[in-house]
Amino acid sequence: MKIDMIIIGLIAGLSGLYALHSSFGVAGVGAGLAVMAIYALLLKVKAKKPVERSLFHNIRFKLPIILVLAGIIWVMAGKFNFPVWWQIEFVSFAFVGFFFFTLLDLKTLKQEKSSWDWLIRLLATYALASSIFIVVTAQLPQFDPELELAKLNRPPLKLADAAGPEVIAAGREVFENNKCFNCHKVFWEGNSDRGPNLGTKQIGLYNNDYIKEQILDPRKKQSPGFDDPKSIKAMPTYYGDDLSEDELTALVAYLKTMRDPTHMPVEGKYGDQWTWWDDKEVLAEGQQVFEGVHPATEGLSCAVCHGKDGTPMMTGALDFRDENNKDTDKIEGDHSDKLLKDWPDDLWYRRVTRGVPNTPMAPWGMIFEHLYLWKAEAYARTFHDPLDKRTARRPVPPVPSKEEIESWTTKEMFLDPLL
Amino acid sequence: MKLSQSPLKNSFFKTLICLLFVYLLGHLSPFLPVSPHSVFSNLSFQSLAYAEDDEEEDEEDEEEEEDGEESSDGEETSEAEDGEEGEEDLSYLTDIGPAADHEFEEYSFMGFSNRKFTWFAAQLHILFASFILGCPMFVVIMEVMGARRTQGVRKAIILSNVFLAILIGVVIGITGEVIVGVHHGVLYGLWACALGALIVSTLNYFHLLMNIRVSALVGAIFGTILSMALTPVEHYETSGVILALVTGAVGGLISNGIMFAKSDFKFERLAHEITKVIGICYSFTALTGGLFLFIMLVAYEDFITYLIASFPTLFMVAYPTLFILETVVMYLYVYSWDPLNKSNKKGRHIVMGIVLNVLGLSLLLALDGPTTFMQTPPKPLDQILNISEWDRIANMAWMPLNYHRLVGNGTFGGYMVCIIGAYMYLWSDKKEEREYYDWVGYIGNLIGVAIMIPLPAMGYIFVREIYQYDATIGMYIMSDRESMFMLVQGLLVGTMFSVSNIYMWVSMKRIENAERFFPAMKFGFILIVCAATIWFTPRRFFATMLPEPSMNPDMVLPDNLAFLALMVSKNTAAFCLVTVTFINYIFYTIATKTGKVHYGKINPLGPYVLIFLGFADIWLMSWMGTIRELSRMNWHIYKVFKDVTPEKFAPSLAESGMQVTQIVWTFFILMTAIIWIGIKYPKTKKNETKPTAATPQVAE
Repeated sequence: MKIDMIIIGLIAGLSGLYALHSSFGVAGVGAGLAVMAIYALLLKVKAKKPVERSLFHNIRFKLPIILVLAGIIWVMAGKFNFPVWWQIEFVSFAFVGFFFFTLLDLKTLKQEKSSWDWLIRLLATYALASSIFIVVTAQLPQFDPELELAKLNRPPLKLADAAGPEVIAAGREVFENNKCFNCHKVFWEGNSDRGPNLGTKQIGLYNNDYIKEQILDPRKKQSPGFDDPKSIKAMPTYYGDDLSEDELTALVAYLKTMRDPTHMPVEGKYGDQWTWWDDKEVLAEGQQVFEGVHPATEGLSCAVCHGKDGTPMMTGALDFRDENNKDTDKIEGDHSDKLLKDWPDDLWYRRVTRGVPNTPMAPWGMIFEHLYLWKAEAYARTFHDPLDKRTARRPVPPVPSKEEIESWTTKEMFLDPLL
Repeated sequence: MKLSQSPLKNSFFKTLICLLFVYLLGHLSPFLPVSPHSVFSNLSFQSLAYAEDDEEEDEEDEEEEEDGEESSDGEETSEAEDGEEGEEDLSYLTDIGPAADHEFEEYSFMGFSNRKFTWFAAQLHILFASFILGCPMFVVIMEVMGARRTQGVRKAIILSNVFLAILIGVVIGITGEVIVGVHHGVLYGLWACALGALIVSTLNYFHLLMNIRVSALVGAIFGTILSMALTPVEHYETSGVILALVTGAVGGLISNGIMFAKSDFKFERLAHEITKVIGICYSFTALTGGLFLFIMLVAYEDFITYLIASFPTLFMVAYPTLFILETVVMYLYVYSWDPLNKSNKKGRHIVMGIVLNVLGLSLLLALDGPTTFMQTPPKPLDQILNISEWDRIANMAWMPLNYHRLVGNGTFGGYMVCIIGAYMYLWSDKKEEREYYDWVGYIGNLIGVAIMIPLPAMGYIFVREIYQYDATIGMYIMSDRESMFMLVQGLLVGTMFSVSNIYMWVSMKRIENAERFFPAMKFGFILIVCAATIWFTPRRFFATMLPEPSMNPDMVLPDNLAFLALMVSKNTAAFCLVTVTFINYIFYTIATKTGKVHYGKINPLGPYVLIFLGFADIWLMSWMGTIRELSRMNWHIYKVFKDVTPEKFAPSLAESGMQVTQIVWTFFILMTAIIWIGIKYPKTKKNETKPTAATPQVAE
């Protein structure tokens, strides 16, 4: 039978290692092997008869150890940037471990002498279990039932008399109520990266029909970087049944506000993201816009002045081939000393959407969809920074904070009065 | 030697069977083809008045049709006549009198409201139901383990092996299907294990034909071949074949092991004692079930009427039939124990136990239909009124809940045995009694832990199906209003695994030479604490998806540490908890096999650890029931029947914790009384040294 046990043990061990490898790679296998080795080693140790200690003796040895350990855990968790509540959690579990080990080495309980003895112990057992569960459920974070009831009692959404900002606010509620935050962040809000961050992706740049289609038929076109089998299935397909026409309209109105006038849109999954500056498909489409052949921007051709190959066709037109070009000083109170190669995204955006006074560079943002203008800008950079010569992607900008986002409106950085 | 049976008893059984037959025939009639003058129609006990009404209605319909044809010729005339006479007032047909204007109001009594009364009765009912469904599963296996291997018993063992193999095969199969992705894993598991067990048991029936290795091999080969023939797949996949080989081998192994196990009377005694408790619990199940229905009729009259009316065949035919049959078989099982032992018909008694289990499981499956219908009503929802009753039962979450409850009830039963063992240990004065009940606690923990190991996989399967049905429910559970509820669940699971391991530690201290495992076990405890910490670690410390007013928005893990709160980390933690427990379980088993176990000399802490464990298990079970119920949000039937009562909102975590604790306390108080009445009290009446177990089987 020994050989059977060895074979079964071997199969079980290998299966465990395989499972760890599929989740954590080589590190998982290493950890698994280390645990196995420790087990093997400890089974070889010639164990002494376990010493049972009184509570005082138990604590006398274990308490200093656990205090030091708790201190180390606290500091290490802080070093890894765990917020203070998680530091408290980890240290609490260290004390749970202390309780366990104290219990394991505790002296054998005295036998009950009368019915009262077991009755008291029995009630103490129930009281201990009940108090743990009652205290834990009472002390963990709670939501307010009154607030929940108020939400449920709110009448269904009707947009008949609602104005722009009210529609957007209603859309925000639809977004929250349908748990969109479970997978999507909106800039800094939310805490899941299952789906794209709709703020940094700037879903608001897209037209209403496209956004609606993404809600109602999400598998028709996957967001770049989210085309793996798991992500494809992630977005539910039932919102068409769940949302009323008014709710859908409000939701789209809210999504349309997700724009960033200071950065290029960001694509990809957290950990592997890129901006439109480095997106091949975006650059190809931007070229069409730049050259005036894109059907969505009929009447716009950057190449007329800036040249199809980057050679300016008009005096004064910016030469995109020269990376050391400077910003224009024709816009009063708005000038950057940075050279073209270092222009921040917002400067590109500002110059294209608002134009340059007294030059043929018109405020194109008043006429054409900004989605395409961003794409044309991404393409324009390739004249002095060709895609095939780049050794690295441009860094993905940090997610704008709440204060930054609010400042876009106060500084009137958008052309849309609702933003 | 055969004992003669009294003619009185024979005639009693014959009368009983006749009555049953007539009753069943009456209930079968709805399934029979419709015929206007069927012989069976008179056996259905339908009121003749209704039959006459039907005929009249038919005639009236015909007359109306004829009238319609005539009136088309003289429309003006008929309109004038109508105008003169006015529309016929038929309101008397539906007028229920002055009570029509009665409005049902929210009822409140000592802090209890409509919802809390319903919650209380429902959970109490389900706890007793779990007992009477969970315990008979291993009572019958214990009876087998305790029975002398007479020819009749060996025949019955073939059936019991197949029954056990079906349960094990389904659990392994569904785990393989969902976790590893084996196509039709359940079918492979079920067929291979059951047929492997059947073949090995049959071949070993006359004498020991195969040893344990050969049995495993034969079970694996034949089980696999037959399961491949019976499982409808277009292409065979290696993973399916491996699963079939494994489950077939398991079927062969258990068949051989059980068939040739040395009978131990302790098992017989334990099975008999638990059966006595089952008998009393059965009454409580019916009592609390009735209470639940009455409360629902007061608190949620419209909804319960709709729900019951949605399942006419189930609630008018299948459920009562199954319930009555189970009651009959259960009482026969309990009260025929001694007579059948005396007349050397143990095999028949075992078969009756299996029938009892089959009926119990059928009842579980039947009632899971309406339960899951409330959670995942079949889509498209606008067709909900047009689908068949069977389609309503076989909704998306039905089978996953069946698996989950099957395994959950097994675990529940295991820990209830622990509690029975612990109580009786505390209530016993005699050395022999203490030794025996110490052993009962050991067996209960063994069953509880063994069945608890696949339980997380079953829960995962259930929630996965819910996610597929409607991700909003899944998100509500995992990352919104119920996220803190799930955190408590994590804490409870960690507690249960830890306490189970502490019990193993405590009981190993009474085994000679077991200390060689202690250093490794202590290392296991460190792993358990680490795993429990990871399982408990949440993504955020607020109770909603987004922080609400008065919540701190900074209580969120940064993105680079978020992986600790994701499923990959939780699964690893669960895997670690299960593995360490399994390793300790192996140490424990080896220690009991290689060292002398001093039963009755367990550290007095042991029984209290078992009671704590049982309390935690039952609390967790009630808690998970709460989570499942609340996950429908403000719907009685998700997106079909809305809850519009004042208590439609989700109760807070603290309120739920208190309510569940009250329910579990009530259950434990009742169970303490039941254990006393069922097992302890009869002993105080007799000589305590004389066991209250069944009379041993007589010699063949």
